[in-house]
Amino acid sequence: MTASLAPAALPARLHDLEARFGDPFAPDNPLGFVPILDADERGEMFAAGEQALHDYGLNAEFVPAELGGRLTRLDHLVEIMRSVYRRDPCLGLGYGASSFIAGVNIWTAANEEQRRAAAGLLLGNKRIAVAYHELAHGNDMAHTEFSALPSAEGLLLNGRKEVISNIGRAEAVVIFARTSARPGSRSHSQVLVDTSRIPAERVRHLPRYRTTGMRGVQLGGIEFRDCPLPADAILGAPGQGLETALRSFQVTRTTLVSMFTGVVDSGLRTTLRHARDRRLYGRAAAELPHVRSVITGAFSDLLTADCFATVATRALHLLPAETSIYAQAVKFFVSKVLMDAMTRLSSVLGAHFYIREGASGLFQKLLRDIQPAGFGHAARAACQVSLMPQLPLLARRSWLHDGSAPAELFRPGADLPPLDFGRLAISAGGRERLSTSLAGGLAAMPDDTSPAGTELRSYGEHFAEELVRLAEECTTLSPAELSVTASSHTYDLATRYVRVLVAAACFETWRHARADGDPFLGDPAWAAAALHRLRAPLGAPPPALPEHLEESLWHELSVRYDRSLAFGLMPRPLAGSG
Amino acid sequence: MPESIPAENATTDRADEQHLREWLVGRVAEHLKMPVDDIEPDVPLSDYGLDSLYALSVAAEIEDHLGFAVDPTMMWDNPTINALLDALAEELADAA
Repeated sequence: MTASLAPAALPARLHDLEARFGDPFAPDNPLGFVPILDADERGEMFAAGEQALHDYGLNAEFVPAELGGRLTRLDHLVEIMRSVYRRDPCLGLGYGASSFIAGVNIWTAANEEQRRAAAGLLLGNKRIAVAYHELAHGNDMAHTEFSALPSAEGLLLNGRKEVISNIGRAEAVVIFARTSARPGSRSHSQVLVDTSRIPAERVRHLPRYRTTGMRGVQLGGIEFRDCPLPADAILGAPGQGLETALRSFQVTRTTLVSMFTGVVDSGLRTTLRHARDRRLYGRAAAELPHVRSVITGAFSDLLTADCFATVATRALHLLPAETSIYAQAVKFFVSKVLMDAMTRLSSVLGAHFYIREGASGLFQKLLRDIQPAGFGHAARAACQVSLMPQLPLLARRSWLHDGSAPAELFRPGADLPPLDFGRLAISAGGRERLSTSLAGGLAAMPDDTSPAGTELRSYGEHFAEELVRLAEECTTLSPAELSVTASSHTYDLATRYVRVLVAAACFETWRHARADGDPFLGDPAWAAAALHRLRAPLGAPPPALPEHLEESLWHELSVRYDRSLAFGLMPRPLAGSG
Repeated sequence: MPESIPAENATTDRADEQHLREWLVGRVAEHLKMPVDDIEPDVPLSDYGLDSLYALSVAAEIEDHLGFAVDPTMMWDNPTINALLDALAEELADAA
């Protein structure tokens, strides 16, 4: 049976937010799935939802406590946002993800005055957009063309930024711009632009981009022509742009993709509801072994993704020198696992996944809404390209050494030291301790002769050995094999390394949960299931779980469903429970 | 050139400096798949295609080669071979 965490660990405001949202399945709930689907059909933001978030003051979650907001812990922020994504992913992304990203840039780089101004805006329920993206350059930031070059009156803005969320309704925007004509890595900066102060004849808004999913999110663009801006609009010192980006992206790439677990939570819930109600061939669909297999597989994948994302989020507080690695790995891994889980769940719904209304009508929206996890804010391939040049260094400096990350990394909900944006490093210098924590954990593993315990040890050893194999392969990589033009084999090395990190995160989270007496997380079944599925050959679908693991997870899932508890690592009570 | 080194070590230091220069140009050439002789010491390395993230792995190699910590952004702030060698010479003098 599951036990809820001690009350002190659960942010009271999560209860508050859930209570405001109310039961999502209640047909007369103005904040329920029925009106949410309706807004999606119209391609509009869910207005009642936005008002609810205004009333709750969601922006305060993005503003550090020392500036008057509520941001102290990133793991708490993620949990609050998961609540929103569970309800409506489009609301989660469209209400304030851009404000969050803009905020992180500002908290990382700006001076005190700029930080206070931004905090004031956000706390007043206003929006800040963030404009890095140019159609011609994607994630290739160094080739940014938009310029904010020095002129007689300060700076002159020229260029276009496209596919920018909320640009049409934001009071300010953080723009990534070229601030020097010289080539190289010190020629860019972020500038903070007050949209109400731009001379109308120097700017124009570009037409809205319509998308298949997240249909309410207002994606626009903006074009400047010789628009003057005071020089003090630059965040921090000129030329810090790339550095600020590399630091702040660690926070946003980790946390934003982590919020998407809320989508799979709702997808799983909808599917399970359908499977229980649907009778086929004389029984409920939920009793068919294949259906159970797919559903428990998705639950396992959700737990794995949540675990890895949570460890990486805690690392932002505990091990900021190493998170340039974990952030890339999380974005790369978690996005795909979540998207694939949704795709597999759609097969359980059968033809019903294709219908836009009725009891399961929500699912098709969730399936469309989850796709940006893979490319929004950063492409998965860009994450691999960031990891590849570091592989030989990691092999030399980390993988063959004894190093274990601190235990707090693996204790979800436990206290965290304050977040310090200044300690985020642009490079980890090949030093990380998560991967090698696995070998350390295996050596310290308590005896467990249960089938799940035996499997967990065996799978754990497989991944510890995989790390040694990777070290041998990666130390001999030539530098020319480490850039974007590397062979597929080298991209695969990065993928294999990420899997070792995930295995280590799950194993160690289990081991510490066992020591802490957590009845579900401390039982090896979920971790054995996670590592079992991680062992699939690259490109192959994850293997079905052995029966005893499947039974364990099906039981847990059913209990949580009946009690309206969340399906991730921590079984938070949801609206509609009790 | 660092001024604090006594005169009798000057020849050794010039040899060391030449070694370091050759090593560095060699590593950059290896990264860029370019002939060593095509790398001009006063041309920004980004012109040859050494982008900002790629430069970080060169910085790490310098760390391993010289045995002390090198700020990863040293390559960004000293974008040519000559500028980089000057910055490293200062670091070496401080470390001595």
